Amino acid sequence: MNPLSPDAPPIQVRGLSKTYKVGFWFNRTVRALQGLDLEVGAGQIYGLLGPNGAGKSTTIKILMNLVRPSSGNALLFGQPVDKAATRRLVGFLPENPAPYEYLTGREFVTLAGQLCGLSGHELDVRVKEVLGSVEMGAAEKLQIRRYSKGMVQRVALAQALVARPKMLILDEPTSGLDPVGRRQMRDLILAERDRGTTVLFCSHIIPDVEALCDRLAVLVGGRRVREGSVRELLSTQVPTVEMVVEGLPLEQVKSLGVALESTQSLDGRVRVQVPDAQSQKMLSQVLAAGGRVNSLQAAQFSLEQLFMDALKDSGRTTSVGGEINT
Amino acid sequence: MSAFGAMVWNGFREARRNRVTVVVGAFAAVVLLSSTLITEVTVATFDRVLTDFGLGMMSLILVFLTIFLSSGLLSREIERRTIFLVVSKPVSRTQFLLARLAGNMLTLAVMMGAMMLIFVSQLLMFQVSIHSTQVVAAVGLWFELLVLTSAGILFSSFTGPAVSAIATTGIYFAGHLASDLYDIANRLDDGSVKTFAKALYYLLPNLERMNFRLHATYALPVDTSTFFSGVGYGLGWAALFTAAAIFIFERRDFR
Repeated sequence: MNPLSPDAPPIQVRGLSKTYKVGFWFNRTVRALQGLDLEVGAGQIYGLLGPNGAGKSTTIKILMNLVRPSSGNALLFGQPVDKAATRRLVGFLPENPAPYEYLTGREFVTLAGQLCGLSGHELDVRVKEVLGSVEMGAAEKLQIRRYSKGMVQRVALAQALVARPKMLILDEPTSGLDPVGRRQMRDLILAERDRGTTVLFCSHIIPDVEALCDRLAVLVGGRRVREGSVRELLSTQVPTVEMVVEGLPLEQVKSLGVALESTQSLDGRVRVQVPDAQSQKMLSQVLAAGGRVNSLQAAQFSLEQLFMDALKDSGRTTSVGGEINT
Repeated sequence: MSAFGAMVWNGFREARRNRVTVVVGAFAAVVLLSSTLITEVTVATFDRVLTDFGLGMMSLILVFLTIFLSSGLLSREIERRTIFLVVSKPVSRTQFLLARLAGNMLTLAVMMGAMMLIFVSQLLMFQVSIHSTQVVAAVGLWFELLVLTSAGILFSSFTGPAVSAIATTGIYFAGHLASDLYDIANRLDDGSVKTFAKALYYLLPNLERMNFRLHATYALPVDTSTFFSGVGYGLGWAALFTAAAIFIFERRDFR
């Protein structure tokens, strides 16, 4: 068997599928993942974006050996995920983390360090460092049952960081945090990336993904429907121009013979989005019809738009995923 | 401390900080101390009654605590999702399960040790003779608790705490009635019913084989072979239950 290789890609996933059996007699199935391929390179912040039930958490749970795949394989640093030693290089923060409530923050992070093989002075120093880095030093002697949700999230992040992992896997790390907490979490993730740590994180909070990720995959219904760097993905969208027209009713604007992306009537004005290639034609048509153009600007592309397009392309009308068979 | 040791110690710490354990511990102390009231209602057999009452109470209270602690050992971790933060560390599920079992047995050993201290203090106070079978009975009880704990862990590897507690309680009662079942089977005329009753006997752990309380009460010696065969029998059943629990737990999805 190959030894654990920190130089192998941190995550390699090939044809990963997972079908859950549900119901009292386990006679119904939910297909959470369908042939997922994924590769995360070292030092990246890689985002998994998708609606509820898209398979993001299932992917992460398979990587952390919490759930067994139905088919396909997943490797961490070149080794199967069910090898316990593989997880020595990984720090994991689950969604809605539930640390032992009867422990204090310090005891819990110490336990996490011991499980990763740390001991003695090194463990004490490291526990103090990580609790300080998540600003939990002052509350370290308080039992976790007395913590707020934000404090639980911080102490759970501290346990993920305690053994200086080469990769962090974070499931919805900013959910439940206030704006200050979200900002701090984002700063911590960026600081870890700067330290050389690979980060896989999943979220449905699009601004977080946009602000943090080098690369991302969009999952819908257990399948990967988009993948690439954020810049690449945004550049694949057709550039559009937003125009505000005055002096023409909405119906007349629509009948100018230009293919419009969208229209909106605004108190005597009409806001339209046209493909960039059609913008000159649209401008001259409006002026010829006696209208005025109040403003003209390139539309801002966003991951949100990309996400909605991906959802639409996959034939989904709602954000609730998971394919149920009876 | 090793990862395994840390998990064992954490299991013990969890039980120690659990209100139920503390209340049961306090209750046990009160009950054992109240056995001195027996002096008021006994005449000649005071030493026997004191031993019987003391060991009997210890057994009842520790069995209750065992069922309470073991039936939720895995299922509560899964329900509350505390398991996510442990099995995602470089420890195997088997290590985790064995550490939970060892933590539970450590808790029970400490509780039993404390109860034995009270019990022995009373014997000394009333100048009742202390003999080795009283200790043998306590050791036998610990192995009985080991069988029950491993049964509780097995049930909690695939069901919730309530079902697991009911099933473990069933094992306790059936385990103490198993030898009666065998005796009844021997007296039956119907061949198929006799075979069924005997099969049932072999499918259940006979907890009476680890029960030396009667020996302690009457100060009867327990011969070495009886003691070791009883303890070995208990270890065998505990190993069987634990192996089955590991088999199931290793294959479970934690959603």
